Amino acid sequence: MNQLREITVIQTTCILISTIIGVGVLPLPLFGVKAADTGAPLVTFLAIMIAFLGLWVITKLGIRFPNQSIIQYSETIIGKWPARICNFLVIAFFLLLTGLGAREFGEVVVTAVLRETPIEVTVIVMLLMAAIPARNDINIFSYIHVFFLPVILSPGLIIVALSLKNANVLYLQPLWGHDHKVMILGILTIAALFQGTFIITILIPYMRRPKKAMKASLWAIGIAGTFYLLIVIAAVSVFGPEEIKQLLWPTLELARTTSWGRVLQRLDVIFLVVWVTAVFTTLYSSYLFMAFSISQFFHLRDHKMLSYFLLPLVFVIAMYPKNSLKMYEVIVLVGTFGLILTIIYPCVLLVMAILRKQEGHRTIENG
Amino acid sequence: MGNHGNIIRLLCVIVLLVPLLTGCWDSVDIEDRAVVLAIAIDKAEKNAKENEAEISHLKQKGFRKPQEKMIRVTAQIAVPGRIPLGPDTGGGTGEEKPPVWVLSAVGHTLDDALLNLQQEVADPIFLGHLRVIIISKDLAKKGVKRFNDYFRRNPEIRRSAWLAISNGNAAKLINVAPKLERVPALYIAAMLENGVKLGKFPNDFIGLFWRTLSSKGQDAYLPFLKVKEEENIQIKGLANFSNAKMVGMTEPLEIGLYMGVMGERKGGYGVFVDVPGTKAKVLVEAVHRKSRVKTVIRNGKPHVQIKIRYEGQINEKDHEKVEINKSAVIKRIEKKAATDTEKSVKGLIRKTQQMQSDIFGFGEYVRAKHPTYWNENVKTKENWHKLYKEGTYEVKVVFHIRRVGMKAE
Amino acid sequence: MDVVFITYDRSEKYLKSNFFKKNKNKNKQDQEITPDQMMKKNNRSKLTGKLDETIQIIKSLLGENDDFVIRHFHIFGHYSAAMVYLSHIVDHEVVNRDILKPLMNVPNHLVNKMINLTQLEDVLLNETLSHSKTHIENDIGKLISALLHGKTVIVIEKLDKAFHIDTHKVEKRAVTQPETEQVILGPREGYIESIVTNLALLRNRLPTADLKVKTMTIGRLTKTKVAICYLKGIANESLIKEVEKRLSQIDIDVLLDVGYLEQFIEDNHYSPFPQIQTTERPDKTVASLAEGRVAIIADGSPFALIAPVVFHQFYQTTEDYSSRFLMGSFMRMARVLALVFSLFFPGIYVSMISFNPELIPTEFAVAVAGGRAGVPYPAVVEVLLMEVSMEVLREATVRLPRQVGGALSIVGVLVIGQAAVEAGFASPITVVFIALTTIGSFATPAYTAAFALRILRFLIIILAGIFGLYGVVVGVIFIFNHMLSLKSFGVPFMSPMSPGNLQGIKDTGVRAPLWWMYKRPSFLHPTNEVRLGTSPKPFQKAQSVPSVEGNQLTQEEKNEPTP
Repeated sequence: MNQLREITVIQTTCILISTIIGVGVLPLPLFGVKAADTGAPLVTFLAIMIAFLGLWVITKLGIRFPNQSIIQYSETIIGKWPARICNFLVIAFFLLLTGLGAREFGEVVVTAVLRETPIEVTVIVMLLMAAIPARNDINIFSYIHVFFLPVILSPGLIIVALSLKNANVLYLQPLWGHDHKVMILGILTIAALFQGTFIITILIPYMRRPKKAMKASLWAIGIAGTFYLLIVIAAVSVFGPEEIKQLLWPTLELARTTSWGRVLQRLDVIFLVVWVTAVFTTLYSSYLFMAFSISQFFHLRDHKMLSYFLLPLVFVIAMYPKNSLKMYEVIVLVGTFGLILTIIYPCVLLVMAILRKQEGHRTIENG
Repeated sequence: MGNHGNIIRLLCVIVLLVPLLTGCWDSVDIEDRAVVLAIAIDKAEKNAKENEAEISHLKQKGFRKPQEKMIRVTAQIAVPGRIPLGPDTGGGTGEEKPPVWVLSAVGHTLDDALLNLQQEVADPIFLGHLRVIIISKDLAKKGVKRFNDYFRRNPEIRRSAWLAISNGNAAKLINVAPKLERVPALYIAAMLENGVKLGKFPNDFIGLFWRTLSSKGQDAYLPFLKVKEEENIQIKGLANFSNAKMVGMTEPLEIGLYMGVMGERKGGYGVFVDVPGTKAKVLVEAVHRKSRVKTVIRNGKPHVQIKIRYEGQINEKDHEKVEINKSAVIKRIEKKAATDTEKSVKGLIRKTQQMQSDIFGFGEYVRAKHPTYWNENVKTKENWHKLYKEGTYEVKVVFHIRRVGMKAE
Repeated sequence: MDVVFITYDRSEKYLKSNFFKKNKNKNKQDQEITPDQMMKKNNRSKLTGKLDETIQIIKSLLGENDDFVIRHFHIFGHYSAAMVYLSHIVDHEVVNRDILKPLMNVPNHLVNKMINLTQLEDVLLNETLSHSKTHIENDIGKLISALLHGKTVIVIEKLDKAFHIDTHKVEKRAVTQPETEQVILGPREGYIESIVTNLALLRNRLPTADLKVKTMTIGRLTKTKVAICYLKGIANESLIKEVEKRLSQIDIDVLLDVGYLEQFIEDNHYSPFPQIQTTERPDKTVASLAEGRVAIIADGSPFALIAPVVFHQFYQTTEDYSSRFLMGSFMRMARVLALVFSLFFPGIYVSMISFNPELIPTEFAVAVAGGRAGVPYPAVVEVLLMEVSMEVLREATVRLPRQVGGALSIVGVLVIGQAAVEAGFASPITVVFIALTTIGSFATPAYTAAFALRILRFLIIILAGIFGLYGVVVGVIFIFNHMLSLKSFGVPFMSPMSPGNLQGIKDTGVRAPLWWMYKRPSFLHPTNEVRLGTSPKPFQKAQSVPSVEGNQLTQEEKNEPTP
């Protein structure tokens, strides 16, 4: 814990972006279209707003307690045992999130590319990819995120750019869609894709200037949100809402529809394998969050050993859903209820901290 | 600490490696795959049902037989080695063997037929290079939805493959071997793809076909191909669909008109235009097209205003006497061309109205621009078909002839 | 005492009993004690002033050697003295001319002057011995070590001090072109095996008082001189301390090359990537020093170690900087491309053939299938076989005598590949890909880094054989994760890419114009960051240059004051 405060604002931004962008992008347009057919971009936008609200709250909390993570300051705010129960739930939630994230991607890979390979193998490879570097400290964590960020953003942007050729603006109209019965649910489902931002609660204690964390949050949600919006707009304008309803992973189909002249006729496989990076960074973040939080929860000195002990647990969770449809039911359910933990819980903390006028003190200035 | 970590890391690596030892699950070398380049789907012969082997379902009692009518699937499989690497090094000894192997099987559904086919082929069937799928007209008239399901589900299928309707037997079409290309399937694919590039055909690969098929306010169309003189293939027109059933077809020139309404930029069709005041005709080729579609609701019915702007050039005249040397002449020809086109477009719309096939997607305009009207009156594709027939259409064509080639008069 | 013909064994006993009584009890083991061990134990002992005794000790330690020479003579005809040296490593001419001659002949101004013993030391040092490297020593251990380093020792009767004069002569080759790092544009000199010459090469290029050379001796047997060079005021002090600390912890018997040092002081011993750069080029060393790095040079090695190092240095050459920036950047990008080729091509090829043939254009795919029809092995095995045989052949080519080597160049190996194709053993496209990778791996200028890529290539091929493209990407992520977590003397290996640093990025994939890079790379935390002067601009605008002949200047131009 006695590490230097070395994380810069840019690094924080990169970590947040690459954490947000993950496997959830693949079914994203489907969630949006199911909620409000042509209004999918609007739904996505509203979801981004909700996600930003959550991020704003945890960043505010972090700035208030610049030396502590949520596991630590929650105990000061609402007392030891209530906080411990909530924190336990948060950790359990991220355990689920990690497992399901790995499973979801494994499912995509096994369905689309490696059809004979056992899903256990692809999932365990994904998890190992996250577990091994999760032994590193926060600095290397940030290096890895910064390094892979272009690899994460570029395939999506290339696909969006190339698919414009087949876009039809009519499919985006009317902007608010035709029926809005399930809109709220869709907004929550998409907002749940942003829950990785919770990682900022353990980042702030390592930031060189925690005061500027809000700037990082703003940029991160801006860039990742724009990315999400672009993907949704591209998918809806290329396929139209009715076609998207028939596709399990519209973003992947977007890559399949797009070809780059005669050079690369199938972009979907390439998109998918490059997308491994995005999934890796997301899993890495939630994995590290778990390891860190658990070590703080039990007041351990080091999180390194935990990274391997968590592996079997996460793997079992990943293997729990029986089939790919059950998996999505679980993911939507867990994601939506998780919002209580990732948005409402911090809100409660923040309100109480303001009411009780509690504030953490900075002991180290500019490490 | 470090020592512990190392042991655990080692264990993990071993745990990781053990399953890998049995690995290479998906590894099938390219030469060990039966690379299917084209698939033709036809109606099965009458006696097919009796001759069917029990591959995907058993004939004993207690199992319900699949409902769908039997189909015959013909696959064109590339034979490795027959298509040499790089340019031909000459020295053609003896008769050239065909580069593809064509074989067929029957089944109740597409997958059923492919499973039956697999039963006869040693290598695993690989659809990743499937470029062309041909459905015979008879089958298409019964509906194509039953085939889409399999194609959508299978990740190997490219969304950029082409689906086409054949006039006669589809299997015959994929076996026609034009001289330009060694592999027949690739010839058909090249023909359709180049058609898009030349402005002869709107881009309509299978992904786009599917999207129009699912749109509520638009009907799909497919290229309609015909075998010519047993050794060549012609793009005969558009095969129009209403819902998922083929309901009719257009003439080749009507493809050009259709593309005009859609505003497909690259023009490719030439048309004879009377030179007003003379008996002569000139052949005007459209180079660029641009269109604007506007919908309004008039008296509870959609009214569509279509504005098309062509830019063209004169390619040929059929009479020596006529002189094309003044801009006034060109202006007259432009006017004539415009009215001709207007008439033809209206004719095409009428034709599609009768077929209940809104290939232009006017319904999408209504859905997008008049959502309340849509929600109250349309909502489904069937309703739109009715309204499409009742709607009024207004076509306005502007024709510009920019140049006349290198001849002075 | 018949000391002259005393045997070794006896001398040992003799020594034990007479001189080193303090250690008597400790040396009771049966085990024979080597002269070296003995010296270590007794290196505190001082000269007594008795010539015979001293000679006896020296002789007992070194007397067995064939080249050990004792020459008794009289200084100025008065004082009995002995000159001791090891004749094989001593320049006889220097001994005769600069030592023996001036000592035997009384200098002109001293003729007939009585020199007493107390004055002798002074006279000899200041007036007689005309050799610059003359020292006075009274410690026997140090004298012995001086002898072993090619110095000539003069012991004088009744004087408790001895002179040692540097008469060292080693055979060394001339400064030649560096073999492993050749450039087209740039200096041609490389290091040789002598540390003196190497340091001289450095000094010649850096005639500044800030260049500090700290030497230490490593290697119990070889006693190799190791020099740490850095520029004071540029290199970070804590870095220098760290280097010194790591070096001082080394305790090894034999140090033959800087490579030994590298293995002891690198951060991660299990990483395939080198974390310290080795170079043969003094110009490269100087450039590194000027960026705030530290160079380590060891005697007997024609390489210098440079630390800390970042990954990007491994595909950069000095040529990138000496050629114009467009050219430099272009060549660099070509090298990066070659690096990518050599790492990924076989893996991508395997996964394309065995897992995702749909990625190959249809026309080509059908043809590839034709080329592979009849190849007995799956693509992974085929590629692995080819790669392994390529490695074997490459190693063989390095070991071959130069006369034979030409016959079996790598290109020759490709001919074998051709034969393999014709025999139906491999497919022609495989050969093309293997050839590309092999040749691509030669483009990486740093041999050690190229080696890392060669190993990792196998990892990628195997992963590709299991998971196809997915495996390749997983491999890439593992490799980059490892690289990102590596550190070289506290500097992250992948800087300036990540952690990002705008100044540093100018000198990674491309090489920005020199005047853009006005600061030293900050990831090295140099004490002084400023590289360029106050106006970091190149020569900007030519004022219409008057040519020497021809074109006369017009009147206006002549009158115009130059800005």
